[in-house]
Amino acid sequence: MNVLIIEDEKALAKELEIFLTNYNYMCEVCYDGTTASERVAVNLYDFILIDLGLPDYEGLDLLKEAKASNPEAAYIILTARAEIYDRIKGLDMGADDYLAKPFSLLELQSRMQAITRRKFGLKNNIVELGDFHVNLTDRVITYNEAEISTITKKEFDLIAYLILHKNRTVTRNQLSEHIWGSIINDDYDSNYIDAHIKNIRKKLNAFAPPDWLETVRGLGYKIKINA
Amino acid sequence: MKLRTKLTLFNTISKLVIVVLFVSLLPVLIKNINTNYTDTRLRKQRDEVLQTVKNVGIKYYIEDGKSYAGYTPIKDVYVSLDEDTTDENLDNIKNEARKVEADTIQYRILSHDFKADNKKYLLEIGISLDTVNERTAPLQSIAFVVLIVMVIMTIIADQVYSDYILRPLALIIKTKLVGQKFPNFGPYKEVKTSTDDFQRLDISIHEMIQTIESTFQKEREFISNASHELMTPISIMQSKIENLFEQEDIADELKVRMLEMQRILNRLKSITKTLLLISQIENYQFLKEDNIRISSLLGEVYDEISIRLQDKNINLKLDIRNDFELVRVNKYLLFNLFFNLINNSIKYNRENGEITVEVLVENNKFVVKVIDTGIGISPEDLPIIFNRFKKLKQSLQQDSFGLGLPIVKSIADFHSIKIDVESQKNVGSTFKLTFLSASVKV
Repeated sequence: MNVLIIEDEKALAKELEIFLTNYNYMCEVCYDGTTASERVAVNLYDFILIDLGLPDYEGLDLLKEAKASNPEAAYIILTARAEIYDRIKGLDMGADDYLAKPFSLLELQSRMQAITRRKFGLKNNIVELGDFHVNLTDRVITYNEAEISTITKKEFDLIAYLILHKNRTVTRNQLSEHIWGSIINDDYDSNYIDAHIKNIRKKLNAFAPPDWLETVRGLGYKIKINA
Repeated sequence: MKLRTKLTLFNTISKLVIVVLFVSLLPVLIKNINTNYTDTRLRKQRDEVLQTVKNVGIKYYIEDGKSYAGYTPIKDVYVSLDEDTTDENLDNIKNEARKVEADTIQYRILSHDFKADNKKYLLEIGISLDTVNERTAPLQSIAFVVLIVMVIMTIIADQVYSDYILRPLALIIKTKLVGQKFPNFGPYKEVKTSTDDFQRLDISIHEMIQTIESTFQKEREFISNASHELMTPISIMQSKIENLFEQEDIADELKVRMLEMQRILNRLKSITKTLLLISQIENYQFLKEDNIRISSLLGEVYDEISIRLQDKNINLKLDIRNDFELVRVNKYLLFNLFFNLINNSIKYNRENGEITVEVLVENNKFVVKVIDTGIGISPEDLPIIFNRFKKLKQSLQQDSFGLGLPIVKSIADFHSIKIDVESQKNVGSTFKLTFLSASVKV
């Protein structure tokens, strides 16, 4: 898939490019609005990541322009200006999602995957984990066709996030940012992810040991799927 | 006590003192005046009689050579002339009783000895004291009425004038001090006054408010700009660390150190985001257009926070006695308010402790109480618990930076929610939130 990254912070643009390339996206990078405006007029993209705070261009104008020439593309707004008015305006103008800086790259990728699933209408989104089946669309886990109802919303979120980044270690920090990112509080060193994982293991163990859910010592967790 | 009340009080009391003094002196005064007046009349009569005697001779009064006496019909005045055989030479005025016909009447009597035709005569002129006193009573009451009227008039005049002269002060207090929500003052409106002192007061208050406002504005702008500016470098660092994790050729022990970096970066991010949130609240960058039932809001908080209860095995109880709907609020902010408040109660609670969240109506006000069995707050710490970055000595926990309660306070202020804290050391604390009735629907 083709991604256009419009970001005036070169160092950040570079990291985005490295990360997305690693996830098999084809990336192009623009550091200013004028170049981006030319690019969107010529090429077609699947994803356009756009920083609203460009020095030479009004971000929302660029979004409008790009939408005209690339109506099929998915738009994700990246901004350090966390003002809610921008957020509302951006989403009204047809942006598909919104990420406030600083954001986790894994979060960006999971948003992009969610958009892809939505756009291509992937209905049968079931992942097999040993004898467990995780239905990412209906958000249920089943064991031998029987639904495991004890899993809470948060716990499912964690499992789904690990599945999305399967075979990679997701650190505790990345997991807590995903689970509690929108909550502002003054703890930064929480081990509540461990408590969640402990609960998940306990609940699943009642059916079968979830060997696929691995602890990476000192770092975080990983779901192993042999594809 | 208000200045105006004090002035009125002083005014009335001083007038009352004057009235009492005057009323108690009045009888004596009037009596004196009356006596003087009577005495003058008596002397005038005497002079007239003496003049007549001189002009016409004593025969005018005494024909038989013995005596003369005359009364008016009601016996209020009498005149008598007698031969005086004593050696005294009388010339005085005193009160004495005289028997006139059948009645004994008190008179004020002038006695005067004089010689005529080589004989000594005693002249007596008397005015009945009843007559004198008859005049005293109406005089007294007239004086009393006039006095009261004058006192009332001066009290009213004083009151009106002091009201008038103090009006600018009342206006300054009303418009500049009372009802002003610190630090957001309205625009400056000059208070019109011809009193220099009030003018100076008005201008000084205005100047002070301006200084406070601009300092606050600068602080808010600084926090807002600083936290915004910090977001970009944090963002870059975070991305770099995450990309490093993706690198397969990095040894595990290095990854553990990178995780440490990520954790510290998270801390920086957390502080910056919190400061930004507080500054956005203070700059009114949030809308208030959500409606939500308090029970469902607290339910959402419970879902998010329940995992944190496990560590210390704390029991969190929601006790909703009177459910109500919050209207025209910001749900995101209120969620964060309750999350932080309950999170605070968890952090400072003991093992196997309790937290009760009560929703109730108290004195016709909608109230949410968060009651914990925690370590409590000492009385000297109570006034500073909402200060930013203020970590209390007893709670030097490593994993927080002292912005939890400031978030609570900012959001509460934004929604005009009143917070009262009661606490007892080693027993627990109660945070009581009282909602504005305008933001509540039953």
